[in-house]
Amino acid sequence: MPANLHDTIATAIRSVLSDTGRSADVIGAESLLSGDLGLDSLDLAQTIVLLERSLGVDPFRTRPADGSRPSLRTFGDLCSAYEVAAAPPDPHQP
Amino acid sequence: MNVTLAAAGSASSPALSDAAMRRVFDSPVEDRLATALTTIAEAAPTRTAVARNAGTDKPTAIDYGTLAARLVDLEQQLDEARPIGVVARTDQVESLIVLTAACSRQHVPLAILADDAADSGHELDDWLSVDDTLSIPFTAAGSMPRGEFATVAPTIWVATSGTSGPPKIVDHSWESLLAAARLSSQWHSLTWLLVYDAKRWAGIQVWVQAMLTGGCVVVPASRDPDVVARAVVDRQVTVLPATPTLMRRLLTSADPAVLATCQLERITLGGEAVDGPLLDQIKKTFPNAGVSHVYATTELGEVFRVRDGLPGFPAHWLTKPLPGGARLFTRRDGELLVQLSRDTAEVATGDLVEQRGDRFEFVGRRSDVIVVGGAKVYPKRVEEVVRGVPGIAEARVHSVASPITGELVAVDVVVSPGFSPDDVRSGMLTHCRHELESHAVPRIVTFVEQIATTPAGKVPRR
Repeated sequence: MPANLHDTIATAIRSVLSDTGRSADVIGAESLLSGDLGLDSLDLAQTIVLLERSLGVDPFRTRPADGSRPSLRTFGDLCSAYEVAAAPPDPHQP
Repeated sequence: MNVTLAAAGSASSPALSDAAMRRVFDSPVEDRLATALTTIAEAAPTRTAVARNAGTDKPTAIDYGTLAARLVDLEQQLDEARPIGVVARTDQVESLIVLTAACSRQHVPLAILADDAADSGHELDDWLSVDDTLSIPFTAAGSMPRGEFATVAPTIWVATSGTSGPPKIVDHSWESLLAAARLSSQWHSLTWLLVYDAKRWAGIQVWVQAMLTGGCVVVPASRDPDVVARAVVDRQVTVLPATPTLMRRLLTSADPAVLATCQLERITLGGEAVDGPLLDQIKKTFPNAGVSHVYATTELGEVFRVRDGLPGFPAHWLTKPLPGGARLFTRRDGELLVQLSRDTAEVATGDLVEQRGDRFEFVGRRSDVIVVGGAKVYPKRVEEVVRGVPGIAEARVHSVASPITGELVAVDVVVSPGFSPDDVRSGMLTHCRHELESHAVPRIVTFVEQIATTPAGKVPRR
């Protein structure tokens, strides 16, 4: 995972938490968004809008062609969604 | 001529005689504006009718004598050219006044279209364009046969404000415009500030009202709060009609020393819902001014006027007909319904009200409601809370789309002079969490230099 993408996402989460006087010591790939970081659905929605503004993509806006919904349990899940959305299209895929 | 000047009624223009005013009000409604210009010009030709470019070092004044002379000339041209309709291609208030007076008396339909309005239906293609020279080129094309000329249905075409969509062109009867003016003597010879767009319904009503009652229309050079405040002081404006948004901007951004010297007697708010904090701020800044707010819609015109200085309207208004005969109802979801008279259907207004004690207060437009994870948020309520935070001058609440919750509440904030965004951000969020349910607390906060208003002087919602 590119370190800067990871940092951008972690920074967005920290800023959402600080708006309500909360903080997170460690944000790692296995951190549970809800259980460990305390993000509720409004917090997550805010994070995604902030990231759309800084990264220019919202991986949750449109579902992938296979109709699957990306899993969103851990910080790692969140990062993967953005990695996929930011990746250049695979020339070998039809 | 049996018209005489009565004793001075206000600093700028002496009151007109009762006989002169009676002659105006007794004339047929479509002749009334032309009769007013002529009658007042005979009595007081040098009385200022329009003061343009006010609030600057180079104001321009146009008197009733000039308007009356231009009216005679234009009516003669209309009689010769007999257009099927006239489109006003001018922004000058004095030209709009003369065009309206001439077209209504000559029974020629007139379109006064704001700059952002388009005639997409091409209904006005054969109409004659008249600019501020007020000269009509003689042309056979589009002329009406003389017999039909005086019998055509007289109407005035105006664009809607376009707060919640592109402006639509709506035709009104001359009656609805010219008969709506308040004619009792307390309204005579006043000086009106025109901060509304002169080519929209709200602005047209202001200059028609002023001209029918021998008043003066003061047009500030811009909507800059300091220019507006200076125009009020320089021209001794007595009546200020404005939207709550324009009023709030004047109070928060104009030089307080200039505001303190304003001699406003009446403030009429309309176009948007009024909130308690704004009314309190107006009372503090202009303690001698009577404040009223008007409830009107494009379809219904003015429905009622609230004069008690409180937001919303008394709850008992729902239990009996209003003085004009209209009745108010509410739907289960709080939407206000209006029935203008016994024989007409109820009209859904799109405005939501909520009973608080013995008042009904406006909570917002149905179309403005933001739905966050299934819960409703009224932008107006959130704006009131945000504006209550020290250091915040203005706020506009709107929605942003979210794949998780459908929508999220966003706010654009203007900080007061001497404050920085860092000073107010966390205090604002704490205050919002204290006052609002969690889904209504703004999640996306943007600090801006200024909040854009629509040409109608309202806050855009979408």
